[in-house]
Amino acid sequence: MHIPDGILPASVCVGGYITTGAATWYSLRKINRSENPREGIPRASLLTAAFLVASWVHIPVPPTSVHLLLNGLLGALLGVYAFPAILIGLFFQAVMFQHGGLTTLGVNATIMGVPAMIAYLVFRARKIFGADKRMVTGVFGFLAGASGVALAAIAAFALLITTIPSNIDVAAERTAIITVTLAYIPLMLLEGVFTSLVVSFLLKVKPELLEGR
Amino acid sequence: MKRYYLLAAVICLLILGPVAAVSAHGVDISYGSVNSIEITAKYDTGEPFSGAQVSVYAPNNPAKIWAAGKCDAQGRFTFTPDPALPGVWDVQLREAGHGAVAHITVAGAVQSGTTGFTALQMVLMGACVLWGLAGTALYFSRRKS
Repeated sequence: MHIPDGILPASVCVGGYITTGAATWYSLRKINRSENPREGIPRASLLTAAFLVASWVHIPVPPTSVHLLLNGLLGALLGVYAFPAILIGLFFQAVMFQHGGLTTLGVNATIMGVPAMIAYLVFRARKIFGADKRMVTGVFGFLAGASGVALAAIAAFALLITTIPSNIDVAAERTAIITVTLAYIPLMLLEGVFTSLVVSFLLKVKPELLEGR
Repeated sequence: MKRYYLLAAVICLLILGPVAAVSAHGVDISYGSVNSIEITAKYDTGEPFSGAQVSVYAPNNPAKIWAAGKCDAQGRFTFTPDPALPGVWDVQLREAGHGAVAHITVAGAVQSGTTGFTALQMVLMGACVLWGLAGTALYFSRRKS
Protein backbone atom coordinates (compact mmCIF):
# COMPACT_ATOMS: atom_id res chain seq x y z
CA MET A 1 0.00 0.00 0.00
CA HIS A 2 2.99 2.29 0.50
CA ILE A 3 4.11 2.73 -3.10
CA PRO A 4 7.87 3.45 -3.16
CA ASP A 5 9.80 5.84 -5.41
CA GLY A 6 10.38 4.84 -8.99
CA ILE A 7 7.30 2.66 -9.47
CA LEU A 8 4.84 5.22 -10.78
CA PRO A 9 5.26 7.60 -13.71
CA ALA A 10 5.97 11.25 -12.87
CA SER A 11 2.55 12.46 -14.05
CA VAL A 12 0.81 10.19 -11.51
CA CYS A 13 3.09 11.47 -8.72
CA VAL A 14 2.25 15.07 -9.61
CA GLY A 15 -1.46 14.20 -9.72
CA GLY A 16 -1.15 12.61 -6.27
CA TYR A 17 0.36 15.81 -4.87
CA ILE A 18 -2.45 17.86 -6.39
CA THR A 19 -5.20 15.73 -4.81
CA THR A 20 -3.30 15.63 -1.52
CA GLY A 21 -2.96 19.42 -1.58
CA ALA A 22 -6.69 19.80 -2.17
CA ALA A 23 -7.65 17.32 0.57
CA THR A 24 -5.21 18.90 3.06
CA TRP A 25 -6.53 22.38 2.29
CA TYR A 26 -10.12 21.19 2.76
CA SER A 27 -9.31 19.42 6.05
CA LEU A 28 -7.32 22.32 7.51
CA ARG A 29 -10.04 24.80 6.57
CA LYS A 30 -12.64 22.61 8.28
CA ILE A 31 -10.45 22.32 11.37
CA ASN A 32 -9.80 26.05 11.44
CA ARG A 33 -13.50 26.82 11.28
CA SER A 34 -14.33 24.46 14.13
CA GLU A 35 -15.03 25.89 17.57
CA ASN A 36 -11.67 24.98 19.09
CA PRO A 37 -9.16 23.89 16.44
CA ARG A 38 -6.59 22.78 19.03
CA GLU A 39 -8.97 20.41 20.75
CA GLY A 40 -8.52 17.50 18.37
CA ILE A 41 -4.74 17.72 18.09
CA PRO A 42 -3.77 15.46 21.03
CA ARG A 43 -6.03 12.70 19.76
CA ALA A 44 -4.82 13.16 16.18
CA SER A 45 -1.20 13.09 17.33
CA LEU A 46 -1.60 9.87 19.30
CA LEU A 47 -3.48 8.17 16.49
CA THR A 48 -0.71 9.22 14.07
CA ALA A 49 1.66 7.34 16.38
CA ALA A 50 -0.68 4.34 16.27
CA PHE A 51 -0.79 4.59 12.46
CA LEU A 52 3.02 4.57 12.37
CA VAL A 53 3.34 1.58 14.70
CA ALA A 54 0.61 -0.31 12.83
CA SER A 55 2.70 -0.30 9.66
CA TRP A 56 5.36 -2.35 11.49
CA VAL A 57 2.84 -5.07 12.39
CA HIS A 58 3.00 -7.57 9.56
CA ILE A 59 0.30 -10.17 9.12
CA PRO A 60 1.25 -13.15 6.96
CA VAL A 61 -1.33 -13.88 4.27
CA PRO A 62 0.30 -16.61 2.17
CA PRO A 63 1.93 -16.21 -0.29
CA THR A 64 2.52 -12.62 0.76
CA SER A 65 2.13 -10.52 3.87
CA VAL A 66 0.27 -7.32 4.61
CA HIS A 67 0.53 -4.80 7.40
CA LEU A 68 -2.19 -2.99 9.31
CA LEU A 69 -3.33 0.27 7.72
CA LEU A 70 -5.73 1.67 10.36
CA ASN A 71 -6.87 4.39 7.94
CA GLY A 72 -10.53 3.46 8.54
CA LEU A 73 -10.02 3.71 12.31
CA LEU A 74 -8.32 7.10 11.95
CA GLY A 75 -11.17 8.31 9.79
CA ALA A 76 -13.84 7.14 12.25
CA LEU A 77 -12.11 8.62 15.30
CA LEU A 78 -10.53 11.77 13.87
CA GLY A 79 -12.93 13.00 11.22
CA VAL A 80 -11.43 16.01 9.46
CA TYR A 81 -8.15 15.55 11.36
CA ALA A 82 -7.67 12.14 9.69
CA PHE A 83 -6.17 13.35 6.42
CA PRO A 84 -3.44 15.57 7.93
CA ALA A 85 -2.69 12.82 10.48
CA ILE A 86 -2.19 10.24 7.72
CA LEU A 87 -0.10 12.68 5.67
CA ILE A 88 2.24 13.29 8.63
CA GLY A 89 2.44 9.58 9.40
CA LEU A 90 3.31 8.77 5.78
CA PHE A 91 5.91 11.55 5.70
CA PHE A 92 7.77 10.03 8.66
CA GLN A 93 7.47 6.53 7.21
CA ALA A 94 8.94 7.72 3.89
CA VAL A 95 11.73 9.88 5.31
CA MET A 96 12.88 7.70 8.19
CA PHE A 97 11.95 4.13 7.37
CA GLN A 98 12.02 4.05 3.55
CA HIS A 99 8.45 2.86 3.67
CA GLY A 100 6.90 4.59 0.69
CA GLY A 101 8.76 7.52 -0.83
CA LEU A 102 8.83 11.28 -1.09
CA THR A 103 7.89 11.40 -4.78
CA THR A 104 4.94 9.11 -4.08
CA LEU A 105 3.93 10.81 -0.80
CA GLY A 106 1.04 12.58 -2.52
CA VAL A 107 -0.18 9.39 -4.18
CA ASN A 108 0.05 7.37 -0.96
CA ALA A 109 -1.69 10.07 1.08
CA THR A 110 -4.50 10.12 -1.46
CA ILE A 111 -4.76 6.32 -1.55
CA MET A 112 -5.05 6.09 2.24
CA GLY A 113 -6.35 9.48 3.29
CA VAL A 114 -9.34 9.87 0.99
CA PRO A 115 -10.75 6.43 2.05
CA ALA A 116 -10.24 7.60 5.66
CA MET A 117 -12.42 10.64 4.96
CA ILE A 118 -15.04 8.36 3.40
CA ALA A 119 -14.81 6.04 6.43
CA TYR A 120 -15.60 9.06 8.59
CA LEU A 121 -18.76 9.71 6.58
CA VAL A 122 -19.69 6.01 6.86
CA PHE A 123 -19.19 6.08 10.63
CA ARG A 124 -21.17 9.31 10.97
CA ALA A 125 -24.08 7.65 9.16
CA ARG A 126 -24.71 5.63 12.35
CA LYS A 127 -26.53 8.67 13.73
CA ILE A 128 -29.46 7.80 11.45
CA PHE A 129 -29.97 4.63 13.50
CA GLY A 130 -29.06 6.06 16.88
CA ALA A 131 -25.47 6.84 17.83
CA ASP A 132 -25.88 5.65 21.43
CA LYS A 133 -26.85 2.09 20.59
CA ARG A 134 -23.97 -0.33 21.12
CA MET A 135 -25.02 -2.61 18.30
CA VAL A 136 -25.30 0.25 15.78
CA THR A 137 -21.92 1.72 16.80
CA GLY A 138 -20.27 -1.69 16.51
CA VAL A 139 -21.70 -2.37 13.05
CA PHE A 140 -20.80 1.07 11.71
CA GLY A 141 -17.34 0.79 13.26
CA PHE A 142 -16.86 -2.42 11.29
CA LEU A 143 -18.10 -0.76 8.09
CA ALA A 144 -15.80 2.24 8.59
CA GLY A 145 -12.70 0.10 9.29
CA ALA A 146 -13.41 -2.28 6.42
CA SER A 147 -14.25 0.44 3.90
CA GLY A 148 -10.99 2.30 4.70
CA VAL A 149 -8.91 -0.75 3.75
CA ALA A 150 -11.13 -1.81 0.86
CA LEU A 151 -11.12 1.60 -0.84
CA ALA A 152 -7.38 2.00 -0.31
CA ALA A 153 -6.74 -1.44 -1.82
CA ILE A 154 -8.98 -0.71 -4.80
CA ALA A 155 -7.30 2.67 -5.40
CA ALA A 156 -3.80 1.16 -5.21
CA PHE A 157 -4.83 -1.73 -7.47
CA ALA A 158 -6.28 0.60 -10.09
CA LEU A 159 -3.18 2.82 -10.04
CA LEU A 160 -0.67 -0.02 -10.22
CA ILE A 161 -2.43 -2.12 -12.84
CA THR A 162 -2.80 0.80 -15.24
CA THR A 163 0.80 2.02 -14.93
CA ILE A 164 2.81 -1.17 -15.49
CA PRO A 165 5.75 -0.12 -17.69
CA SER A 166 6.00 -2.07 -20.93
CA ASN A 167 9.72 -2.81 -20.50
CA ILE A 168 9.13 -5.41 -17.80
CA ASP A 169 7.24 -8.70 -17.79
CA VAL A 170 3.71 -7.27 -17.80
CA ALA A 171 1.85 -10.57 -17.29
CA ALA A 172 3.95 -11.57 -14.27
CA GLU A 173 3.60 -8.11 -12.74
CA ARG A 174 -0.17 -8.16 -13.26
CA THR A 175 -0.45 -11.55 -11.53
CA ALA A 176 1.66 -10.28 -8.64
CA ILE A 177 -0.51 -7.17 -8.23
CA ILE A 178 -3.69 -9.27 -8.17
CA THR A 179 -2.18 -11.65 -5.60
CA VAL A 180 -1.17 -8.80 -3.30
CA THR A 181 -4.54 -7.08 -3.65
CA LEU A 182 -6.43 -10.27 -2.74
CA ALA A 183 -4.36 -10.45 0.45
CA TYR A 184 -6.11 -7.25 1.56
CA ILE A 185 -9.48 -9.04 1.84
CA PRO A 186 -8.61 -10.76 5.16
CA LEU A 187 -7.01 -7.50 6.33
CA MET A 188 -10.22 -5.65 5.52
CA LEU A 189 -12.24 -8.01 7.74
CA LEU A 190 -9.61 -7.86 10.47
CA GLU A 191 -9.52 -4.06 10.55
CA GLY A 192 -13.29 -3.94 10.43
CA VAL A 193 -13.47 -6.11 13.56
CA PHE A 194 -10.66 -4.15 15.22
CA THR A 195 -12.30 -0.77 14.53
CA SER A 196 -15.63 -2.15 15.73
CA LEU A 197 -14.02 -3.28 19.02
CA VAL A 198 -12.27 0.08 19.53
CA VAL A 199 -15.38 2.19 18.98
CA SER A 200 -17.53 -0.13 21.11
CA PHE A 201 -14.97 0.14 23.91
CA LEU A 202 -14.84 3.94 23.59
CA LEU A 203 -18.64 4.15 23.60
CA LYS A 204 -18.58 2.32 26.94
CA VAL A 205 -15.75 4.18 28.70
CA LYS A 206 -15.45 7.60 27.00
CA PRO A 207 -18.39 8.25 24.67
CA GLU A 208 -17.49 11.94 24.24
CA LEU A 209 -14.52 10.83 22.10
CA LEU A 210 -16.98 9.52 19.51
CA GLU A 211 -18.84 12.74 18.89
CA GLY A 212 -17.24 12.75 15.47
CA ARG A 213 -16.20 16.33 15.09
CA MET B 1 50.72 -29.89 -66.46
CA LYS B 2 47.75 -27.58 -66.01
CA ARG B 3 45.49 -30.58 -65.60
CA TYR B 4 47.74 -31.93 -62.93
CA TYR B 5 47.41 -28.70 -60.92
CA LEU B 6 43.66 -28.77 -61.31
CA LEU B 7 43.53 -32.37 -60.04
CA ALA B 8 45.70 -31.45 -57.09
CA ALA B 9 43.42 -28.52 -56.30
CA VAL B 10 40.34 -30.77 -56.42
CA ILE B 11 42.03 -33.36 -54.17
CA CYS B 12 43.01 -30.61 -51.74
CA LEU B 13 39.44 -29.32 -51.63
CA LEU B 14 38.08 -32.83 -51.06
CA ILE B 15 40.39 -33.30 -48.13
CA LEU B 16 40.04 -29.80 -46.66
CA GLY B 17 36.26 -29.62 -47.15
CA PRO B 18 35.39 -32.11 -44.40
CA VAL B 19 38.07 -30.61 -42.19
CA ALA B 20 36.58 -27.18 -42.59
CA ALA B 21 33.14 -28.57 -41.86
CA VAL B 22 34.43 -30.26 -38.70
CA SER B 23 36.16 -27.12 -37.50
CA ALA B 24 32.76 -25.34 -37.53
CA HIS B 25 31.87 -27.51 -34.51
CA GLY B 26 34.93 -26.51 -32.58
CA VAL B 27 34.23 -24.23 -29.64
CA ASP B 28 36.70 -21.65 -28.50
CA ILE B 29 36.50 -20.57 -24.92
CA SER B 30 38.16 -17.47 -23.68
CA TYR B 31 38.04 -16.80 -19.98
CA GLY B 32 38.93 -14.20 -17.42
CA SER B 33 37.63 -13.05 -14.09
CA VAL B 34 34.97 -10.33 -13.98
CA ASN B 35 33.51 -8.26 -11.21
CA SER B 36 29.88 -9.22 -10.84
CA ILE B 37 27.44 -7.67 -8.44
CA GLU B 38 25.08 -9.83 -6.48
CA ILE B 39 21.96 -8.29 -5.06
CA THR B 40 19.97 -9.84 -2.25
CA ALA B 41 16.58 -8.28 -1.67
CA LYS B 42 14.39 -8.92 1.33
CA TYR B 43 11.20 -7.42 2.67
CA ASP B 44 11.67 -5.63 5.96
CA THR B 45 10.05 -8.67 7.57
CA GLY B 46 13.08 -10.71 6.46
CA GLU B 47 11.26 -12.66 3.76
CA PRO B 48 13.14 -12.87 0.46
CA PHE B 49 11.84 -10.60 -2.31
CA SER B 50 11.55 -13.60 -4.62
CA GLY B 51 10.34 -13.27 -8.18
CA ALA B 52 10.88 -9.52 -8.23
CA GLN B 53 11.58 -8.01 -11.63
CA VAL B 54 14.99 -6.40 -11.84
CA SER B 55 15.93 -3.58 -14.20
CA VAL B 56 19.56 -2.46 -14.36
CA TYR B 57 20.40 1.02 -15.66
CA ALA B 58 23.90 1.91 -16.79
CA PRO B 59 25.45 5.26 -15.74
CA ASN B 60 25.59 6.58 -19.32
CA ASN B 61 21.86 6.19 -20.01
CA PRO B 62 19.60 6.23 -16.98
CA ALA B 63 16.47 6.10 -19.15
CA LYS B 64 17.20 2.81 -20.93
CA ILE B 65 17.26 -0.63 -19.34
CA TRP B 66 20.75 -2.09 -19.69
CA ALA B 67 19.86 -5.52 -18.36
CA ALA B 68 16.74 -7.12 -16.94
CA GLY B 69 15.88 -10.27 -15.08
CA LYS B 70 14.20 -11.73 -12.06
CA CYS B 71 15.29 -12.46 -8.51
CA ASP B 72 15.53 -16.14 -7.63
CA ALA B 73 13.65 -17.78 -4.75
CA GLN B 74 16.17 -16.38 -2.27
CA GLY B 75 15.70 -12.85 -3.63
CA ARG B 76 19.12 -12.89 -5.33
CA PHE B 77 20.10 -11.40 -8.67
CA THR B 78 23.54 -11.20 -10.21
CA PHE B 79 24.75 -8.98 -13.04
CA THR B 80 28.11 -8.00 -14.44
CA PRO B 81 28.45 -4.27 -15.06
CA ASP B 82 30.47 -3.17 -18.06
CA PRO B 83 33.85 -2.10 -16.62
CA ALA B 84 34.09 0.51 -19.39
CA LEU B 85 31.17 2.37 -17.82
CA PRO B 86 32.25 3.51 -14.35
CA GLY B 87 29.77 5.48 -12.32
CA VAL B 88 26.55 4.86 -10.49
CA TRP B 89 24.56 1.87 -11.68
CA ASP B 90 20.91 1.93 -10.69
CA VAL B 91 19.24 -1.37 -9.97
CA GLN B 92 15.49 -1.24 -9.61
CA LEU B 93 13.43 -4.06 -8.18
CA ARG B 94 9.68 -4.17 -8.31
CA GLU B 95 6.82 -6.55 -7.76
CA ALA B 96 3.19 -5.57 -7.29
CA GLY B 97 3.85 -2.03 -6.18
CA HIS B 98 6.60 -3.05 -3.80
CA GLY B 99 10.11 -2.20 -4.74
CA ALA B 100 13.34 -0.36 -4.14
CA VAL B 101 16.22 1.16 -6.02
CA ALA B 102 19.87 0.51 -5.19
CA HIS B 103 22.50 2.97 -6.41
CA ILE B 104 25.75 1.05 -6.83
CA THR B 105 28.94 2.96 -7.51
CA VAL B 106 31.17 0.97 -9.82
CA ALA B 107 34.72 2.33 -9.94
CA GLY B 108 37.44 -0.26 -9.78
CA ALA B 109 36.63 -2.49 -6.85
CA VAL B 110 32.98 -2.72 -5.85
CA GLN B 111 32.28 -2.47 -2.16
CA SER B 112 29.39 -4.20 -0.55
CA GLY B 113 26.58 -2.12 0.80
CA THR B 114 23.01 -2.03 1.90
CA THR B 115 20.14 0.38 1.36
CA GLY B 116 18.47 -0.13 4.73
CA PHE B 117 19.20 0.67 8.37
CA THR B 118 20.22 -1.65 11.17
CA ALA B 119 17.62 -2.83 13.67
CA LEU B 120 19.07 -0.58 16.38
CA GLN B 121 18.88 2.49 14.15
CA MET B 122 15.28 1.65 13.28
CA VAL B 123 14.29 1.24 16.93
CA LEU B 124 15.98 4.52 17.90
CA MET B 125 14.40 6.48 15.05
CA GLY B 126 11.01 4.92 15.76
CA ALA B 127 11.27 5.86 19.44
CA CYS B 128 12.20 9.47 18.53
CA VAL B 129 9.24 9.87 16.17
CA LEU B 130 6.81 8.29 18.63
CA TRP B 131 8.08 10.51 21.42
CA GLY B 132 7.65 13.53 19.16
CA LEU B 133 4.03 12.60 18.54
CA ALA B 134 3.36 11.86 22.21
CA GLY B 135 4.99 15.18 23.12
CA THR B 136 2.75 17.01 20.65
CA ALA B 137 -0.28 15.35 22.22
CA LEU B 138 0.87 16.29 25.73
CA TYR B 139 1.61 19.88 24.69
CA PHE B 140 -1.80 20.47 23.20
CA SER B 141 -3.68 18.73 26.02
CA ARG B 142 -2.03 20.74 28.84
CA ARG B 143 -4.32 22.70 31.11
CA LYS B 144 -4.63 26.38 30.44
CA SER B 145 -3.01 28.34 33.23
